[in-house]
Amino acid sequence: MTVREPQRNNVVSQSLAQIGACGLFLLTLLAAIPRSFRYARETIRQLWFVGAMSLTIIMVCGLFVGMVLMLQLYHVLSIFGGTSASGMVVALSVYRELGPVVTALLFAGRAGTSITAEIGLMRATDQIDAMEMMAVDPIAYVATPRFLAGLIAMPLLCCVFCAMAIFGGHLVGVTWLGIDNGTFWSNMTAQVDVHTDIVNGVLLKSLAFGAVVSLIAVFQGFTTPPTSEGVAYATTRTVVASSIAILALDFVLTAFLM
Amino acid sequence: MTEPVRTTLDDPALVRVRGLTTVLNGKTIFDALDMDIPRGKITAIMGPSGTGKTTLLKHITGQMRADAGSIHVNGDNVAELSREQLYKLREGIGYLFQNSALLTDFDVFENVAFPLRQHTRLPEVLIRNLVLLKLQAVGLRGAAQLMPNELSGGMARRVALARAIVFDPMLILYDEPFVGLDPVALNQVLKLIRTLNQTLGITSVLVAHELEAIKQVADHVFLIANGKVVAQGDPKTIASDGSPWTRQFFGGEADGPVPFQYPAGDYAEALGFAGAAK
Repeated sequence: MTVREPQRNNVVSQSLAQIGACGLFLLTLLAAIPRSFRYARETIRQLWFVGAMSLTIIMVCGLFVGMVLMLQLYHVLSIFGGTSASGMVVALSVYRELGPVVTALLFAGRAGTSITAEIGLMRATDQIDAMEMMAVDPIAYVATPRFLAGLIAMPLLCCVFCAMAIFGGHLVGVTWLGIDNGTFWSNMTAQVDVHTDIVNGVLLKSLAFGAVVSLIAVFQGFTTPPTSEGVAYATTRTVVASSIAILALDFVLTAFLM
Repeated sequence: MTEPVRTTLDDPALVRVRGLTTVLNGKTIFDALDMDIPRGKITAIMGPSGTGKTTLLKHITGQMRADAGSIHVNGDNVAELSREQLYKLREGIGYLFQNSALLTDFDVFENVAFPLRQHTRLPEVLIRNLVLLKLQAVGLRGAAQLMPNELSGGMARRVALARAIVFDPMLILYDEPFVGLDPVALNQVLKLIRTLNQTLGITSVLVAHELEAIKQVADHVFLIANGKVVAQGDPKTIASDGSPWTRQFFGGEADGPVPFQYPAGDYAEALGFAGAAK
């Protein structure tokens, strides 16, 4: 007679169980950080992989987000004769919301999925067990460096995204639509507050999003069933769970930081 | 239990299993299993598929905890070791995985060097020489720069073997080392296992199904079935001990005590004929 696990027959209890397990996994990750310092080279390797290798998509997307934002704002603000404020509005939108959120969503799609798939395949091919057998802690060697790399890379990528978006807005607004260059920059510098918009908006949010996306990606990789189907589902779950977590966390952070 | 369990350095048994009981998903894998694996010998563990041979290896290495009983490896009760102590013990154990489990990001050289880089601060020259020594021992010094996806199954297994012996372990566990090997590669692996055992004095435990290969290399065989050791002894004579288990397993007979069907409910009932049968 087979003893089965209690059936979790609804989405809510399954999700709660996943969140609980993910929380415990976070504690394990944090406890392994001191041990992972000896694998600094692996952290740098992962930083290159999730950070530097994501630069192209972040830069291109940042550029187009800035361009389209300026295009839309110009047409709306021109109704009220306020096109001179469009540079400032682009900057505030990008720093406060679009920069951290879109960067995190792109990061989840580009780096999060690859982290999950890589760890999942390592599990499926016994590489994680092999490390255990070689007395190498896979949490400290595999999980923590990827988590830390995501944590460090996200704010940097977000800064690059914001810079490219401002550049895109300038390109469309000043070069194409003829907004005065001095007005564009002076309105922006006058209205953007370093603490509220840059520190709270760009850095703090992207740091939180980086932690959440990296945690979900690593957790899904480590807990995936070691099958090809399991890895495929885990990769999908990383994107879905990360996207929901990013948007929900964005609301909470905005509510507290405004 | 009257017999002392603890093994010591002068104990002829390197691994001592006592009363091992494991239940997985409601199925009893081991039922008070007792086993002594002799030091410095090659021991084969055989048995029908699903009898828990790989699970036994996982118990020995502390990857899996048993429900009851104890396993002592070189005097240490595996279940009572802390994480650090367990890792220390594992540094003295080589494990050859069924699918080699090479790290796919690294080439052959770095795979073999991996344990050395993680646990020692040896100079690069010494690491290089040690790795080349081990690769030479398995005949793959020339393949040092190849990536794991460029290796055949037999080559990958030999690289994994080189990695497993890089610390000159006291115990090496081979999980199905002959599966999928052509006769040439199989004989090469057999020769390697025997050579390593004789030259380094390593205690070897083989989980395998190939009786002819086991006869060539093993000093002692355990046949596991129904959660217990049903036969043990010399590989050349164990097949003729007369028990129904050995007769069926080594004779490859379809009928016998080894069940063909996985445990299931009533067949007629499953087909919906229960009422008709009554």
